[in-house]
Amino acid sequence: MSATKASRIGEETRIDKVNAELVTLTYGTIVAQLCQDYDSDYQEVNKQLEKMGYNIGMRLIEDFLAKSGVGRCANFRETADMIAKVGFKIFLNVAPTVTNWTSDNNQFSLIFDENPLADFVELPDDGRAQDELWFSNILCGVLRGSLEMVQMQIEAHFVSDVLRGDDTTEMRVSLIRYIEDEMPPEED
Amino acid sequence: MAAPPRHVSMLSISNSNAGTPQSASSDKPQTPQPPSTPQQASGLRVPSNRKTIYDRHLNRSRNAELSRASFAYLFAEMVTYAQRRVTGIQDLEKRLNEQGYPLGLRLLDLLFYRSTSTSSSALSSSSTSSSPPNRPLRILPLLHLIHGPLWRLLFQRSADALEHSVSPDTPNEYMITDNDPLVNTYISVPREMNMLNCAAYIAGVIEGVCDGCGFEAKVSAHNQPTEMWPSRTVFLLRFGDSVMEREKVLERSGIK
Amino acid sequence: MSYYFTILSPTDTPIFNIAFGTSKGGGDGIARFRFPDTAQYMNQFIIHSSLDILEEAQWTNGGMYLKHIDTYPPASAYISAFLTPSGTRFLLLHQPPQLPTSGSSSTLGASSLLASGTTRSSSSVAANPTSAQTEEAVRQFMNEVYESFVKTAMSPFYRQGMEIRSPVFRGKITAAGKKWL
Repeated sequence: MSATKASRIGEETRIDKVNAELVTLTYGTIVAQLCQDYDSDYQEVNKQLEKMGYNIGMRLIEDFLAKSGVGRCANFRETADMIAKVGFKIFLNVAPTVTNWTSDNNQFSLIFDENPLADFVELPDDGRAQDELWFSNILCGVLRGSLEMVQMQIEAHFVSDVLRGDDTTEMRVSLIRYIEDEMPPEED
Repeated sequence: MAAPPRHVSMLSISNSNAGTPQSASSDKPQTPQPPSTPQQASGLRVPSNRKTIYDRHLNRSRNAELSRASFAYLFAEMVTYAQRRVTGIQDLEKRLNEQGYPLGLRLLDLLFYRSTSTSSSALSSSSTSSSPPNRPLRILPLLHLIHGPLWRLLFQRSADALEHSVSPDTPNEYMITDNDPLVNTYISVPREMNMLNCAAYIAGVIEGVCDGCGFEAKVSAHNQPTEMWPSRTVFLLRFGDSVMEREKVLERSGIK
Repeated sequence: MSYYFTILSPTDTPIFNIAFGTSKGGGDGIARFRFPDTAQYMNQFIIHSSLDILEEAQWTNGGMYLKHIDTYPPASAYISAFLTPSGTRFLLLHQPPQLPTSGSSSTLGASSLLASGTTRSSSSVAANPTSAQTEEAVRQFMNEVYESFVKTAMSPFYRQGMEIRSPVFRGKITAAGKKWL
C-alpha cells in the first residue's frame, strides 16, 4: 500500500473521541506517579512505561485492525507507513515522519513534530530527569506489543526528546524478526 | 485549612529545599517548605528553538480531540498498576482519588485562565458575560462550576444532576450524578472487585477543585445503577464543618 | 517606584520572589527601596502582615484581582493582591521613591504630592500607587503572571507549594513588569 493511501485511511477512519487534554493529563498523572513510586529511579520508570505500553499494544492491535480495515503489510517499509500514518493518526491524532531507513530496510526513525502526551510537560529539574527519563516511553511498548501480535518482533526506543532539550523527538524502531519465520518445522 | 505561624514561615526563607515532586507523597496541603534563597537557577536544557512550556499557548489544545480508546487503554493501565500496589478496594479507590486530586487543582486554574483570556467564557453559561469570572465563595456556585464548566472541560457535556441531601442530619452533603461516566465505559472490573468504582479518579479531581477553592471536602464515587444507566455514578461531596460555618457567616453578610 | 513581587502557596510558602523598579517614565527597572539594607526583610514582613486582610478580602470579593488591599505607612508601602482560584496568592508591594520633603506621615498626602510631579517620575503608574491607572496596570501585570503560573502548574511534575526556579518563568515576570509597571 502506498504512503498516500495509508494517510487517507488514517484521516478517514471514524473513531469515538474524547477531550485530548483528558488523555494528556491522565498520562502525565501516570508518569508522575511512577516517578514517585520508584523514587525517581528513571531507568525503572522507563521500563514500567514500556511494559504498560506493551500491554496496551497487545489489545490495541485488534481495535486498530477493526477500525482501519487494513490488511497485511507486504514489507517492513509498508508497516512503518501504517504505524505512522494510520496507527498514530487514529490513536494520538498525529502523523510522525518516517525517515532514516537503514539500507537493509530493517530500521527506521519516527520523528514527532507533535506529541500530545507531552503537552504541558516540563521534566523535573533535578539534574537527572533530562538525562534519564523518556517521558513518552509508553509509545515504544505500544509498538512492540501491537506488532508482536502481527508476528513481528521489534525493538523501539527514543533517541531524542524535546523535553530533554533536544531539537527533535525521535524514536528508533528495529525489526528483529518475523515471528512466523521461526515457527517450528512441521512434522514429517 | 491549616494556618501555620505566618511570620515564622515567611522569615525563615533561607532554608534550603530542593523541592522535587518526588519528595511529596501526596499533593494535599502539607507543611510548607521554604524555598532556598538566593534562588538557584533552573538547570533544565531547552531545545535550540527555545520552545518551553511557557511558549505554548494554553488554549492550543482547548478543542483538540483524541481517540476515546486511547484514554480507555491508558486509564485501564493506570487502574491495573494501582491495583498491584494496594490491598483491597478501599485502598485502590483512595489511590485513584489521590491521583485525581492534583489534576483538580490544575484544571481549576486552567478553567479560570481560559475564561479570562477569551471572549467566549468557559465558565459562564450566558454568552453575554464578558467580565472575568468570580471565584466561588459559596457552595452553590462551586457546585455549578463542577457540574457545568469542569464537566464540559473533561467530558464535553455537563453532569446529569446536582442535588442536596434531604436529610436534616447531613446538610453538608451534596450529590453530583453522571449517568454514564466515561471512566467506567471501557473498564471491566474483575468480579471480586465489583464494588470498585474507577470514578474515584474523578472524585479526586472534584476534591482537588473543592479544596483549591477553599472548600475542604471529602468526595467519593458510588455505583447507583438504574435499568437505563448501568454504570450511573453518584459523586458524594461532604463539606467540612469549617466550610459549613463560613457558609452561615457569608449568608448573613449577603455574599452570594 | 520600586516593586517587590512574591508568590505564596496556599499554605504561605514563598515559591517565587523578585524585586524590580519601574520602567515607566524613564525608569531603569532597578529597585531602590527606602531602606536598602533591610529591604528584603522589610518587604517580606510587610507583605506578610497583609495576609490577614487578604484572607478577609478573599471571602467578600470573588474576583481574582483584589486590587490594592493594604498600606504600610511607615515605609509608604502599598500591597496589591491577586488570588488564583486554586488558592495561590500573588502579592505586589510598591513603594514610591523617597520624597525630597520627607516626613509626611499621611499616605494620602504622600500620594497626592507624588502625583503633582515633584519627583523625576512623570507617569501616573510610577507615581501614584492607588490611582485607577495604577490599579489597571497592576491588573494587567497580574494577569500575565497568572498565565505563566498556570503553565507552570499544568506540568504533571509540578506540585502545589514547589518553588518556581525556571529562568524562563523569571524572564516572563520581568518582562511583564517592564511592560506594565
